[in-house]
Amino acid sequence: MNDISKDTLKKIKEQRIVPRTKNYFLLRRSTVWMLFGLSIVLGSLAASVAVFQINNAEWDLFKHYRHSVLEFILLFIPYLWILFLIGFSIIAFYYFRRTESGYRYRAVTAVVLSILLSVAGGFAVYKTGLSERIETAFEDNIPFYRGTSFHSRMVWMAPEKGLLAGKITGIAEDGTIKLTDLNGKEWEINAGDALWRGRLSAVPELEIKLIGSKTDNNCFTAKEIRPWRGRQKNQGMGMGRQRGKMHQGMNSSQ
Amino acid sequence: MSTLQHTQYEQMTDEELVEHSLTNEDAFYSLIKRYEPVLLRYIHRMTSVNREEAEDILQDIFIKLYRNLNGFDTALKFSSWVYRIAHNEIISQYRKKKQAQYSIELDAGDDESRSLLNFLSDTMSVESEYIDKEKANLVGAVLESLAPKYRDVLVLRYFEDLSYDEISDILRKPPGSVATLINRAKDKFKKIAVKHKLESI
Repeated sequence: MNDISKDTLKKIKEQRIVPRTKNYFLLRRSTVWMLFGLSIVLGSLAASVAVFQINNAEWDLFKHYRHSVLEFILLFIPYLWILFLIGFSIIAFYYFRRTESGYRYRAVTAVVLSILLSVAGGFAVYKTGLSERIETAFEDNIPFYRGTSFHSRMVWMAPEKGLLAGKITGIAEDGTIKLTDLNGKEWEINAGDALWRGRLSAVPELEIKLIGSKTDNNCFTAKEIRPWRGRQKNQGMGMGRQRGKMHQGMNSSQ
Repeated sequence: MSTLQHTQYEQMTDEELVEHSLTNEDAFYSLIKRYEPVLLRYIHRMTSVNREEAEDILQDIFIKLYRNLNGFDTALKFSSWVYRIAHNEIISQYRKKKQAQYSIELDAGDDESRSLLNFLSDTMSVESEYIDKEKANLVGAVLESLAPKYRDVLVLRYFEDLSYDEISDILRKPPGSVATLINRAKDKFKKIAVKHKLESI
């Protein structure tokens, strides 16, 4: 029988094999923890935008929405960001399992832990206001992202239910607003008694959302007018964002 | 290496030998000498390779062990870490040579095959003292027909006599999953054993 141990030692000496340094293993372990941390941070950013969207959804529209509560809620769930959150949590789980003792935890425990960490981080990021900037950056720069909010935008295309959205094309001398809705239809809006949210005033090219009632085939009486991109929370305080520039997502749906 | 030095090394724990191995190759010799028979037997149980091939695999395992000495996590038992490296190397060799058979070979009248069969006794009335060469071979054949993940845990549990926690450290799976895997493996083993009329021998 060969002395394998002796042969191995001989081979180690002949081939000058040396143990990898402590720093090599330190770097490897640190990299795994760093990738885990990065996944949690990215998951936190996704969670923060989801929190921002849920918190700022126009829940008060429910009284105008005549379908089920569930259908209404489903309309405002930030699917994409929740998907990102889950995706990054799974990546975080992958790296967590590769840490020294991560394998000892059950997969479900580790995934739930990753999601909870990301959600906690998400609330922290939301408090800083970064989530709104992330969402705005996505809306301004990623056409695909604008498409994902199409359905929630189309809630406003229900004049029979008292909801209408579009772009002001002109203002008549008697104060009647001419508006082109998201489907390109022309409307005459009576806004004489309307409450303007977000310190708005009627100017051509301004995009607005209206709550009121349809009075004729192309006539609508507005009770409340909101900026297209304003936020419900801010509107309530009379500080809604107003942007003069055309909302591209609206263009795409016309 | 002097006899005195060898005696000193023999009295050291695995962990102490690891420390010495980093600066002294002779300490590493004592360390691997300790694990040579255990790992050689493990390789034979996990594969159907001949002795020469098993020795080649063992040498690769020892060299990998040497290269990674600084990566030994002292939170683990050294034996668990060695088994983990051995297990990974066997799997890696198996993937490299897929055409080679990956099966179990048991020694005739193996005590461990008796231990594996003990859990069958409730349902199959196996008299462990009558386990003979034929039965051991049949146990080997049954194990061979199991999926590698089931075979792995049965070998580690019943042949290497390791605890669930040790198997968890070797396979890098949660202890709960190891327990589930062992139970499933036992069920599969039972079904195949019944099918092959293991109790009739």
